[in-house]
Amino acid sequence: MTTIPDDVKETVVNRFNDDLKKPVRLVFFTQEMECPFCTQTRQMIEEVATFSDKISLEVYDFVKDKDTADELGIDKIPALAILGEKDFGLRFFGIPSGYEFQTLIEGITLVSSEDSQLPEPVKAALTKAATKPVLIQVFVIPTCPVCPVLGAMAFQYAVANDNISVSIVEIAEFPHLANKYDVIGTPKAVINETMQFEGLVPPAEFINFIQKAAQGSPTGISPTI
Amino acid sequence: MVVNKMTDPQEMYDIVIIGGGVTGLAAAMYAGRMKLKSILIGYPPGGVIATTDWIENYPGFISLSGKELADKIMAHAREYDTEIILDNVTRVDRQNNCFIAHTAFGQYPTKTILFATGSQYRKLDVPGAAEYEGKGVQFCGLCDGPMFQDKTLAVIGGGDSAAKEALILSQWAKEIYIIIRGERLKAEPVNLERVNNNNKIRMISKTNVTSIEGSEHIERVLLDKPYQGNNELLVKGVFIAIGSSPLSDLAKNLGVKTNPKGEIIINRQTETNINGVYAAGDVTDTEFKQAITGVAEGVLAVYEAYKYVGGEHVCTCVDTDYIDCPVSPKDLRSQSK
Repeated sequence: MTTIPDDVKETVVNRFNDDLKKPVRLVFFTQEMECPFCTQTRQMIEEVATFSDKISLEVYDFVKDKDTADELGIDKIPALAILGEKDFGLRFFGIPSGYEFQTLIEGITLVSSEDSQLPEPVKAALTKAATKPVLIQVFVIPTCPVCPVLGAMAFQYAVANDNISVSIVEIAEFPHLANKYDVIGTPKAVINETMQFEGLVPPAEFINFIQKAAQGSPTGISPTI
Repeated sequence: MVVNKMTDPQEMYDIVIIGGGVTGLAAAMYAGRMKLKSILIGYPPGGVIATTDWIENYPGFISLSGKELADKIMAHAREYDTEIILDNVTRVDRQNNCFIAHTAFGQYPTKTILFATGSQYRKLDVPGAAEYEGKGVQFCGLCDGPMFQDKTLAVIGGGDSAAKEALILSQWAKEIYIIIRGERLKAEPVNLERVNNNNKIRMISKTNVTSIEGSEHIERVLLDKPYQGNNELLVKGVFIAIGSSPLSDLAKNLGVKTNPKGEIIINRQTETNINGVYAAGDVTDTEFKQAITGVAEGVLAVYEAYKYVGGEHVCTCVDTDYIDCPVSPKDLRSQSK
């Protein structure tokens, strides 16, 4: 079943032809009987995987393949690990539909090119900031037009720095996380469970949050932008 | 004459465009076409318009989202040799007849500057508004609307943006009250009709919100006059749509003149009071602020900057002064046959 409109497909195929350099592994976790969005998400990922011969798809059962799920840090479904020749730490939980489809495409392109496309001073600032492992959770919803800006930027940071991992979470599918992290507006980022901010922040500010999280600073909230 | 063969250092830009909205992006596209050594520095990409769900007044597109429009102009700009950096400019300095734009990560010397810095949502100045910002006081229906599924909401504002915000939120909310300071909602007629036909939306006119109250999250707003006999309106979220204020501080710090609203004063050529400094779009004192007018101003600004750095007059097919043009009107007519 086709889930992606023809004009979008054509745009993505052209982009993949131009930008995909190295193989990409899409590792998808599902459990058809218990996950309302798993079927739709799997159909979408299966279709995206056909857009380039550089993309391969592996589908796992969240329960039966627990070891693989644990190995990749998958703790909820639907879940997608976007892997290149190495694991840059890019994950997407929930369905990457609406505006979030763009984040998925950015993630695939980034791990394939192995190029964060960040200016050197920004990479240097990340190296200085992420001195310890950092997990950035970015909570999004498909109707949010600015969410892919933060998600894609976080993905760039993960590709640029091995200490940074990023999980994009479609929050409407995980209401318990909306309660846990008090997500009222999107995008919202939670870094190492200690730093959080809502809205978009410029790169220097984002990196400052990462640095504080790596240093183990207490929770801080920036103004909504 | 080729502009980028001037005697200045190679790293000197002809133009730095500040602002990543549609005005700046269109200017970047034109700067590329004019072969100016140019860079756009702006964040977030798309600017405020990217949070608009639908645009129906941009010629050539019957209906598209703000993000789609911004993405299209961004893609168009990237077709040309123009640098684009997603970051904020933190300061602009003047150095002799040139300028230096600073970001957290770099410095960009330039002969001309275009301020296309746009505007930001105006905040409501009542008790509770700042306290609950991000905790129920929100500014983007598209971004935050789904978090208010089946809830009662207030939209504060009396213009077209308030109407559109209420219409967007009606996809998820149980009911929406538009609280209007004036007598009526001054929206585009087409949006006003949509609001009137939407059975989830009610309007409360000639009323001000005096405070926003709750505990952990918003529970109510207080009104300065009773609505259905009560000054208290029970809502779970408040969306602010009371217009925007210009982001002109960078320009003001440089000495650029603004009007009492803080808008940069420009002439028909988009020039400011400082030679080599231009402004376009929502940050200016242009009365009718639309995507299309901002885009047009951005393009005009680039053309003025192009001439300022030494570029020759560009003749167009509708030029009324052919004295300096390579071919006469007669020649042009004969060529078109």
